[in-house]
Amino acid sequence: MTRLADLWRCFQGVVPSAVATADRNGIPNVTYCSQVYFVDDSHVALSCQFFNKTRRNLDENPAASVEVIDPLTLQAYRLRVRFERSEKSGPLFDSMSLRIDAIASHTGMQGIFRLIAADVFEVVACEIVEGFLTEAPADVPDHVSLEGARTEMRGLQLVSERINGATNLESLLAVVLEALEEYFGFAHTSVLLYDEASRRLTALASRGYGESGIGAEVAVGEGLIGTVARDRKLLRLTSLEGDLRYARAIRREAAADRSVSPGEEIPLPGLPGAQSVLIIPLTVGARLIGVIAAEDRDPMRFNEWHEAYLGVIANQIALGIDRMIEHTDDAVEMPAAVGSAAVVEAACAAARGACRRLTYYRNDDSIFVDDEYLIRNIPARILWKVLGESKRTGRTEFSNRELRVDVALGLPPVKDNLESRLILLRHRLQEKCPELAIVSTGRGRFALRANVAVELTER
Amino acid sequence: MANRSAHRCLDPGTTIIVGTIDGRGTPDVCRAIAVASQDGLATVVVYLPVATSQTMIQNLADTKRLAVTVMNPVNNCATQLKGSLVGVRLAGDDEAGFVRGQFSAFTDVLARIGVPRRLSGSLRYWPAFAVEMQIEQMFEQTPGPQAGTPLR
Repeated sequence: MTRLADLWRCFQGVVPSAVATADRNGIPNVTYCSQVYFVDDSHVALSCQFFNKTRRNLDENPAASVEVIDPLTLQAYRLRVRFERSEKSGPLFDSMSLRIDAIASHTGMQGIFRLIAADVFEVVACEIVEGFLTEAPADVPDHVSLEGARTEMRGLQLVSERINGATNLESLLAVVLEALEEYFGFAHTSVLLYDEASRRLTALASRGYGESGIGAEVAVGEGLIGTVARDRKLLRLTSLEGDLRYARAIRREAAADRSVSPGEEIPLPGLPGAQSVLIIPLTVGARLIGVIAAEDRDPMRFNEWHEAYLGVIANQIALGIDRMIEHTDDAVEMPAAVGSAAVVEAACAAARGACRRLTYYRNDDSIFVDDEYLIRNIPARILWKVLGESKRTGRTEFSNRELRVDVALGLPPVKDNLESRLILLRHRLQEKCPELAIVSTGRGRFALRANVAVELTER
Repeated sequence: MANRSAHRCLDPGTTIIVGTIDGRGTPDVCRAIAVASQDGLATVVVYLPVATSQTMIQNLADTKRLAVTVMNPVNNCATQLKGSLVGVRLAGDDEAGFVRGQFSAFTDVLARIGVPRRLSGSLRYWPAFAVEMQIEQMFEQTPGPQAGTPLR
């Protein structure tokens, strides 16, 4: 009998599987199944999302036949299986449920399209379907060779060293993403950090995208990333397009049925045409720090091995970020430096006619630069505070501590993520108003720099 | 007369699976290449590659029951037909063009969703058995709350 573990590519959900059952009267039923899950060398599981005919048949006749297909060769394999049990909780259920929940949330089907049970089958026989292809499929090397594993273990060590060597949060995030590409070939990655106060995640670093996406936000529980953040569990999707097509079909049917009201689909940010996604929660204990996400156009790019070692890396990243967030404050209050002239005034004087107009809108707590959105919420209040302070007093240097004690900024009393908010502000200024910059001048300190006239308006 | 949902199972570019059962109650599953109907879906002819359907043909000889599900891989719209065997024969040369055309449409659809033709072109589709089936039941099979609804 072919070993189930050798068919791991068939169990990634890239090509839908076929399942035949029969009722007690011998009437067969045949249906597609988006993914057959490998449980162990003698068991597989199917997801039960609806109390359908297949499920009823299994109660009457536990025998079933499943055909799975290797997505890289299209070779088919036939499994003779016998239904054993339905699991409605536990690690297998959670793992299968997370994937369905994430896709459901992404397509506005949260609570409508969900896992009812993980149906576990004993595999009685497993055989190649002889003659399925006109010629024997070419050998496809597995992603994880011994040499590849050694390289990746070495990469793990180097990523760890870089995390330890980072001196601030921004450089930590940058070196992590750089190392993931350098040693693991993950070319499209991003890190989103969690803000406990708003229960949202904000992208603070990305690599491999045309536009940085820095500042993009997602609520906990919303879409793929939000679901991972909510459940604190790793999510690996190997056939994103196929999964979305499947969910959209259910969404369309549900809308036509009028028995349920699906929500809006969330536009997928990131890599166009992505087929595989790996999203890992960054946690310290039970506390969520953020998520790290990788995408690829190759549906087989990420496998169980990547889950394992990226889980280790994620722990290190989470600890590193937590360390930076905890210890970036200035240890000793320093008198705020006063520049030779206020940034705004100095810039105005030196600008030779060039001017950027910044407008703070009180009603939605946002700043626009020359009518283009720049930033909102706490980072907007921080920028408005330092710009205003600079205009009034001539100061150009500021400390993290003075921001922390300013209640008007609305920073949470604990875990305020100030460092990450300043990173976000720096990036947004670089992208939208590069003439104005927030520059780190030492531990817990930063300066405002401007090389253009700045006009401030509040509405 | 079956409605549009039922007739979409005759559209080109679909993926087709067939289920049967042996005399001891053990189901079997197999991929098919094409479905045709000349009588408004009173009966259909399902084309199964000879190379992969030996067990299925044996089952049909024993129990005469089969189920056929036809799905559009792009939008997941699917229909299931259930019924009994009228007869099995080797598909004739006059049917080869139709089967080849349906297979070609299928590989076109697969290419649209990212399956390269160098792979899909290697799927075996000929010679084929032509399995004639009397349709007794038809069901909506598109995933969702309507799945399992009788279409006639």
